[in-house]
Formats: sequence, C-alpha cells, structure tokens
Amino acid sequence: MKDIMPVLTRRDFIRGTVGVTLGASVFGLQWPKEEARATVTSVVTVVRDKKAMDSGKNMDITVLEKMLVETLIRVTGQKNTKDAWLSLVKPNDVIGLVPTDHLNPTHDEVVDVVKNSLMDAGITEDRIRDAQGPRNAKKCDALIAIPGLKAHWLTGIGTVLKNYIMYSGSPSSYHQSNSAKLGEIWNLPFVKGKTKLVLVDSLYPLCDKGPQPDPRYQWNYNGLIAGTDPVAVETVCLKIITEKRKVIRGESWPLSPPPICVEAADKVYGLGTSRMDQIQIEHSGWDHELLL
Amino acid sequence: MNADKPNLPKTVGVWNRLEAPRIINSKNIFKYMNGAGELYLGYRFRHLEVFDYTSADQGNILVELYFMESPDDAFGLLSLDWGGEPVSFDGAPAAISNQYFTASTRALYGGGLLRLWSDDIYTRIMAERETPASKEAVLALGKAIAASTQNPPEPALVKLLPIKIDAGWKLRADRLSFFRSHLVLNSIYYLSHENILDLDLSAEAVSAPYQYIPGSGNPKRSQFLLVQYKNHERALQALNRFHDAYLPGYKKKITEETTADSLSLFKLEDGWIAYKLIGKHIAIVFESPDPESVRTILQKNESNLLKKGEGS
Repeated sequence: MKDIMPVLTRRDFIRGTVGVTLGASVFGLQWPKEEARATVTSVVTVVRDKKAMDSGKNMDITVLEKMLVETLIRVTGQKNTKDAWLSLVKPNDVIGLVPTDHLNPTHDEVVDVVKNSLMDAGITEDRIRDAQGPRNAKKCDALIAIPGLKAHWLTGIGTVLKNYIMYSGSPSSYHQSNSAKLGEIWNLPFVKGKTKLVLVDSLYPLCDKGPQPDPRYQWNYNGLIAGTDPVAVETVCLKIITEKRKVIRGESWPLSPPPICVEAADKVYGLGTSRMDQIQIEHSGWDHELLL
Repeated sequence: MNADKPNLPKTVGVWNRLEAPRIINSKNIFKYMNGAGELYLGYRFRHLEVFDYTSADQGNILVELYFMESPDDAFGLLSLDWGGEPVSFDGAPAAISNQYFTASTRALYGGGLLRLWSDDIYTRIMAERETPASKEAVLALGKAIAASTQNPPEPALVKLLPIKIDAGWKLRADRLSFFRSHLVLNSIYYLSHENILDLDLSAEAVSAPYQYIPGSGNPKRSQFLLVQYKNHERALQALNRFHDAYLPGYKKKITEETTADSLSLFKLEDGWIAYKLIGKHIAIVFESPDPESVRTILQKNESNLLKKGEGS
C-alpha cells in the first residue's frame, strides 16, 4: 500500500498533533520528544513607560534611553550599561544592528538609542553597522536583533524569527508550510550563535493584517521586550498580540494562520524555549494593559 | 471592466502630492510588501500605484491604488475586513440599505485608514497621524477616486448565500470574505498550510460564519465555505483531495454516484462537518454543533444555488 504523506490541517491544532504531522510532512524527521529536552528558564524583560510615545506618535528620547538602560541591566544582571554591553559583546567585535527596515519598521529612534548606548560603552562607531541583509551580516561578529512587534498574515507572527528572513536569500520560500522552517535561518553558518540580544520595539505594535500597517490594529504599548533567547522573546510577543486581539474582539480571536514557526524554532532547531512555564518575565514600568 | 484612472488632486489641505507615483507590479510587489505580496497576487492583480502626499508638520498621507483584473477582485480585498465606519461618497450608499450588507458598503474608515472598493480598483489611503484635518484630507481623496469610478455589483457568488436559514441561523455578513487563494483562506479561516482545496486564480470562493443565538446560553457558530471551480471535473478532483487531506481516517472515494444525492457528514474534534459537490461548486460546513444544523445550513445553501441556476 502506498504511504500518503500526512498534511498539516486545522484538526492537528485541535488534537495537539502538530508536532507529529509537521515532523513527518515538513521536516522529514521525528519531532523531538518534549521530555528529552533539558529544563531551562529564559528571562524576558518587558520594560514600559507611558511617556515613551504619545498618541501623536511623538517619541521622548530621554524616556527611551532610560528604558534601554533598565532593559540591559535586567537582561544581563550587570550594574550599568557599559558592563551590560560588554557582557554581551567584545570591545573589538563588529556589531550588526538588525532592525525591521520596511512596513511597520523599527523606529529610527530605537535604533539610534541602541547605537549611542553601544558607543557610550566604548564601542567605536565604525564597528557598529546596519546588518539587515546577508551581505552585511557576514561581516559582523555579533548581531543585535531589533525587530518591530507585529502580526503577519502569512506566518501568524512576523517579529523575531522572521526578522532574519532576508539572510536566507530566498524569503518567499519561507511562506506557507515552510514558514515552520524560519528557525533554520538562525542556524546558517554566518548567523549561528551571533545574536547577543533580541530587543523588540513594541512601542506601537500591530496585532492583525501585518506587515502592512493598519492603525485600527495598532496601539501604544510603549514597551521594549528583550532577552537573549529569541524563541522566548517571540513567545512573549505572541502572548501580547494574542491577548490584544481578545481585547479588540471581546472574544477569542486566534492568529490565522497559526504561528507554527515559534514551536518549531524550539523543538526542531533548538533556538530556545516556546513554553511559557519556562520563561521568566521581568516586567517594570507602566502596567496598564500589560497583556501578560 | 477597467476603470478610468482616478484624477488625484495635487493638493489636499496642507498636503502636497509628489509628482510621480511609484509603480509596483507583480515582480516587485514582494519588495514593496516586505515579502508578503501574495495577498494581492492571491487575487488577479494588475499593478499598484503609490502616491505620497507630504506636509511640513502634519505627517504624510499614503495613497495606494491597486488595479485589479475585475471588480470582483477589488471587492475581495475590501471583504477581508468589514471593520470601520462606513463612508458615503456622492451617490454611493454608505450603510445597510438593502438586503445585503456588502452590496451597500464601498468605503470604510478607521484610525486614519480609508479602504475603498470602486470598479476594479481597491484603494488604501492612510494618514501617518490621524487628526481632524488628516481625516478630512483622506476622505477628500477617497471622494476624488470614487468620483471617476462606478459602483459595480458585488460578486455573483456572494449573493448566493442565504442571509437567514429556517431554524434561526443567520449569516454573519460582517465576516464574509471573497477570495481565490488558499493563503487568503488561511488568513480568514485556517484549514491547512497546503492547498488542499486546489484553489487558484480561476476559482472563486466565499466564506462566512452562520450564527445561531438561542434564548439562553452561548451563541452557536458554523463556518460555511462555497467554492466555484472552472468546471465539474475540477470540483470533483478538489473535493477528493480535500477529503484525503482533511478526513484521512474516513476512507471514501468521491464519485458522481456518491455525491449526487446525499451530503457527506462526519463528526470531528471541533463539531460536525459536511460537504457536498453541487455541479462545479463545493459547499462545506465546518464546526457545526449537531447533525441537524449542518444539514440545514448545507441544504438551504444548495437550494439557493439551484434556484439561481448555479447548480450545474
């Protein structure tokens, strides 16, 4: 009898068989068993300030700088930003900043604040580069991912994991069921192990219809979300987007299509944890509609 | 039908239009959409013209004119989200005025974004900052576009869906979407990452929930999907593929004989599902609370289809 390759469907999400079906149909390998993984805890910081951005989208740079300081100290456990940066990167590293550059882009102010903070820590300007795109990343020793928080109509979420899609050289091949494979880009030889910090610009996120902006689904969250585990950071971002959608509709409004790339980044590519019970969220600042 | 090119003003309020629009075609739309151009290519897309209006201190206004192959395609893009405040331009009714909600809604505004369906053009006009002045400018631009275009009827397939069904089920017209691509279907109602219904640009599809509000307790909902293929053979082939992928535990070869008289009904994890092949159409009801409801919704849709001569 001819074997029929299983197809991932809505029913897998209801039955909890996503892993089995994905393992067989997309990855061609067994989905690792949950219990085989080491128990880890990843810290994700959520630093918010009501004054970071007003309703007219005007940014307060001083507030943003303070939020970054708070973020760096909490992520690294160091006493000041200089020590924090130097615990993440080496003084002679060529450091690539990787913002989202188009359609709900990372705010320039966020990128500038990061760059200035690195320079204050003693990293010379000529060692700090824009690393969006594969050519630029190859020349870097360390990467700081700075995506904007947004839902994505093709992949569910289009924030952390998707931020490196241009490194693949073939972005459209990571859509449809292959969006589950977004994590493999983080394991490309010129990318693997280089990401020292993931800092998500969540000042004005988008919870539906991304990547095209739609102001009906954008709001002032006024936050920076950060960590060294990209999957944990993405998982927290996903939670915020999902909760905001519930608030908007007043009922459950799941992301469609479901963001299978997040669980796959954990269980197939070993990039970090997608389990909320293995993530320690450290929140500080504004707590209105935290959504966590 | 190809619409006249809208004549956009050079100045609106304090905003001035930059001279030449950016022209985006099916090749460079991926770059423009940051890799997500399939939304527009999932309809029959011709090209996109992007106009920028700039101001000294009130942010910019972006005007995107999506030129599609037919008014149905432009309607489809608007139908992906009926949220927002209906807007009336001269001669075009704004709100629910006749039997069908979608027939009267041509433009929707919310948060600084105006979305507009006129002829074969789908338009997005978005103010970077929403203020009373920017709203006025956005609506003025919408009016200028609507003035040079006509209001064609909504796609025929959309009108086949009964709004009310005997037992108290009502169509959620505010969640009704018209589409041709499985990627677009997945953004409305996730079915599978694979194209298990063989959708392509030659197909037409409409999906919406039916809702039943009982005297007490929570509302019940069933998702309805109707697909029209090029011909009966394509529909039969697609239904077999759908069955194999979605109902692999239920072995069945769908043939002319098995589908002619009876619907196929199954109990799944999330409720009852039923499908039927009706000429070149496939009708499917998902997540129904009981066999009676699923039968009622499917049969009423089938009878509407046959009554309107669409059953062959």
